[in-house]
Amino acid sequence: MNKELVKFPFHLIVHPFNGYWDLKYDRGRKFNLIVSWIVLFLLAVTNILGAQYSGFLVNLYNPNEMNSLLEVVYVVVPVLFWCVANWSLTTLMDGEGKFVEIFTSTCYALIPIVVINLPWIWLSNVISLQETSFYYFSNAVAVLWFLFLLFVGNMTVHQFTAGKTLGIMALTVVAMGFMAFIGLLFFSLVQQIIAFISVIYQELAMRS
Amino acid sequence: MLKSLSNGKTLLLLAICCLLGAALGGEAAYAEGEGASYNYSFWGTTVTSPAAYQATDLYNGSDLGVGAFKEPSDLHVTADNRIYVLDSGNNRIVILDERFKPVKVIDSFVRDGQADTFANPQGLFVTDRNEVIVADTGHNRVVHLDSEFNWVKTIEAPESDLLQANFKFQPVRVVMDKARRTYVMATGVFDGFMEFNAEGAFTSFIGANRVYIDPVEYFWKRISTQAQRSQMVMFTPTEFTNLDIDGEGFIYATNGDQWGDNIKKLNAQGNDILRRTGYFSPQGDIRYTIETGPSRLIDIDIGDSEIYSVLDSKRGRIFTYNGDGHFMYVFGGLGNLLGEFKTPTAIERMGEDFVVLDKALGEMTVFRTTAYGRTLNEAVRSYYRGDEQKAYELFNETINMNANLEFAYAGIGKALLRQGNYEEAMKHFKRSMDQANYSKAYLLHRKEVLRRYFGAIMTAIVAAAAISLAAVAYRKSARRKRGVTFE
Repeated sequence: MNKELVKFPFHLIVHPFNGYWDLKYDRGRKFNLIVSWIVLFLLAVTNILGAQYSGFLVNLYNPNEMNSLLEVVYVVVPVLFWCVANWSLTTLMDGEGKFVEIFTSTCYALIPIVVINLPWIWLSNVISLQETSFYYFSNAVAVLWFLFLLFVGNMTVHQFTAGKTLGIMALTVVAMGFMAFIGLLFFSLVQQIIAFISVIYQELAMRS
Repeated sequence: MLKSLSNGKTLLLLAICCLLGAALGGEAAYAEGEGASYNYSFWGTTVTSPAAYQATDLYNGSDLGVGAFKEPSDLHVTADNRIYVLDSGNNRIVILDERFKPVKVIDSFVRDGQADTFANPQGLFVTDRNEVIVADTGHNRVVHLDSEFNWVKTIEAPESDLLQANFKFQPVRVVMDKARRTYVMATGVFDGFMEFNAEGAFTSFIGANRVYIDPVEYFWKRISTQAQRSQMVMFTPTEFTNLDIDGEGFIYATNGDQWGDNIKKLNAQGNDILRRTGYFSPQGDIRYTIETGPSRLIDIDIGDSEIYSVLDSKRGRIFTYNGDGHFMYVFGGLGNLLGEFKTPTAIERMGEDFVVLDKALGEMTVFRTTAYGRTLNEAVRSYYRGDEQKAYELFNETINMNANLEFAYAGIGKALLRQGNYEEAMKHFKRSMDQANYSKAYLLHRKEVLRRYFGAIMTAIVAAAAISLAAVAYRKSARRKRGVTFE
């Protein structure tokens, strides 16, 4: 079991079609969730370490604006937004995936970003300005790999065709935008309500 | 600043802050006390800095014994520290020596045997040979006098195909280069400076500003009819506001651009060759409220070693930059105290000191360097000369007085790099956020370290390879002995 915890994610990122099939039909839900949360945690740690310890040539670091909690939020919130938006859309469009499957497939797709970026935190400290192109190239590879895994994962989990998956992914991004908008609207309204109540309270408190 | 953030972003930030209970960074602290000035950090925040210049003296016309100045609009200080003040309202030029004692007052000159005067002159320039060029705005001409104030020539309204038929020649600022070409800034001319040859004939325009097109305005223009369009304002390039010329014949100019580069260094072809390698392009204040807007630069003065200063009429401040575009120091302001102005209109360097002319009050304020300003000036000069050891010492002194001066660390770093102290150089380049030089120092440092430990590193690699080979061989032979076969 413990060995599988390490072996299977690495197997999946290099054999995505088989890997995602296994993820959906052969692996237990608990196993997948454990791996997913570990990946999310590692990604957050990578981002925090990267922001703080990446080399000076690739990372102009302002300690006044460094906030580890925000780095965690930047990882968790987009993933959750993606999953919710994707689930909402695919439910309407005959996707076979459950929410847990969407979540785990997304998290597995994030593995390359961790695997590539984590060593680069140290490596970026021992390169010169001319060699930074390797750094940016690796980052680009990590992102492309992630997108490919996300695509394969989505396709396998929902049992869609390739074209439909691409369409759904684009729509998901749009849906995420809507969700962000509605979220802001909600926060704005709540803020106004709180302000209103506090003004009434002040009024009463000052009168008496 | 909050206003400029979009409402949504602020809200999201607020929400996240509330959810996590995390406080974002605090406010920057401002130094209290007299004479404190500011600078801008790499991150665009305002940081405190000691004053580089302090006002020491204030002179007006009656103090000097030449009668009150009336709306003086320009001044010029020669290399031998003689001060020429153009007293526009009184149509005269007042010449003072370096101790501000009047030497001469010129209110007329003799031209072809007849006395001639100025009418509301706006611009004044004095060449190396102490020849005087006056933009005689009221008479629509430029007057050229020699060092004894005898008339040499007059530049009248030029006739050229490049000019419109109803063109009115109103020169307001002038300079003359070493080849005795005259460059005139005239009102209502959008094509740049007017260049006249040594005989006073018009040759060409030089260095026109770019046209800035407001997208909203452009949209309305697109959908309106021809008749409507002719009623609308035209898109014209901004006019220059002032100019000065350095020892090498490059023209430094300021313009009233709100968005583009408002300081330019023009070469003979009229191309802008100002180096903008500082943390921000030289432009006056980079932090301002939306209500007041960016600085409006109205005068520029070039010192030695490519150090130049510009005058912001909006806030009455004088900003000084070095040749690389690093912001050195700022002083002045609007107000009633000594060292503050009402309508500053011209600045000039007098050796190390500054003279600032106030138009409405008819006063001249003299600023002298503080110890900090002297050290910084001298450090930048040494660096410009290539005297890195001297620059190293002076920059070190400077940062002892002002640790916030980030570009000074790069100066120290370069000297250290030359000395071969790569590790220290890296530290200093990091402090000044200079990635290119950091990389240079790092490459040398890396080479040094690798050389020093080459033996150890190679031994380790060879040993590791040998051990792993041995392990593999041992495992194989062990398997063979046990007679285990793999399918």
